[in-house]
Amino acid sequence: MTGMEKNRWPPGDLVIWIFIMAELLVFGVFFTAYAFTRAHNVELFDTYQLTLDRNAALINTLALITSSYFVVRAVADIRADDSRGCFRWLLAALGMGLLFLVVKGLEYKHHFSLGIDLSTNTFYMFYLSLTFFHFLHVVLGMVILLAVALKARKGGYSAAEHTGVETGASYWHMVDLVWMILFPLVYVMR
Amino acid sequence: MTTKKMFLRPCTWVYLFLLSLTFVTWFIGVNNLSGRAFAFTVLGFALIKGQLIGDYFMGLKQVAGPWRWVIFVWLLLIGSLITAAFWKTL
Repeated sequence: MTGMEKNRWPPGDLVIWIFIMAELLVFGVFFTAYAFTRAHNVELFDTYQLTLDRNAALINTLALITSSYFVVRAVADIRADDSRGCFRWLLAALGMGLLFLVVKGLEYKHHFSLGIDLSTNTFYMFYLSLTFFHFLHVVLGMVILLAVALKARKGGYSAAEHTGVETGASYWHMVDLVWMILFPLVYVMR
Repeated sequence: MTTKKMFLRPCTWVYLFLLSLTFVTWFIGVNNLSGRAFAFTVLGFALIKGQLIGDYFMGLKQVAGPWRWVIFVWLLLIGSLITAAFWKTL
């Protein structure tokens, strides 16, 4: 894309965009349910929100934004017919995704060690289910990126045909986008 | 400027801007700053970040027609609903 001409369709396979819309709808319902449930339990939500680790959330936000940027670099490389560069940037993005999973896993470990689970209270029910639902999307996104990276390493994409790279990239950016709302909503807004 | 640079340059600026907004959001959170001003500032930052990711990282800025607005409409909807839910409680 040069910025000169506009395309009729978004980058990647159109099916992934239907999937992305469905995912955004589900996350949107989750976010709205969280916000309106909080409106009826303000004290509870504000009290237990303070138990969350904002530093861990910062690291995870930076990891996801950085991984998304690395995926942008991978797309730029394959559009320039550089498969090796594409592969390397995708590996770097996967590294950031792995960092996210480790940090989130440590957060869960901390909560579980304190005996916190879905039934502890309404706040933790939302916090654990929302963040774990997103966690699973990070895992799925990483599986997709890994498959794309391995194909890129074998020279399976080119400047002329790289729909797979753009498809994987679009999904990964959606995972990043959802976290951009989840982070302030669950960890910060009070 | 090459096509690659023309694509990457705005994305790099967006990346740095996203990092900046994230640090401000974290600062508000880690200092337990509360109330409408802070809550809606971080929500506004989140919506801006989402739109930038859609426009530049997902490439929707280069798309014409209804697909251009998918992310914008989603952000507008959830931003409005979250604002409505938080408004009376802050």
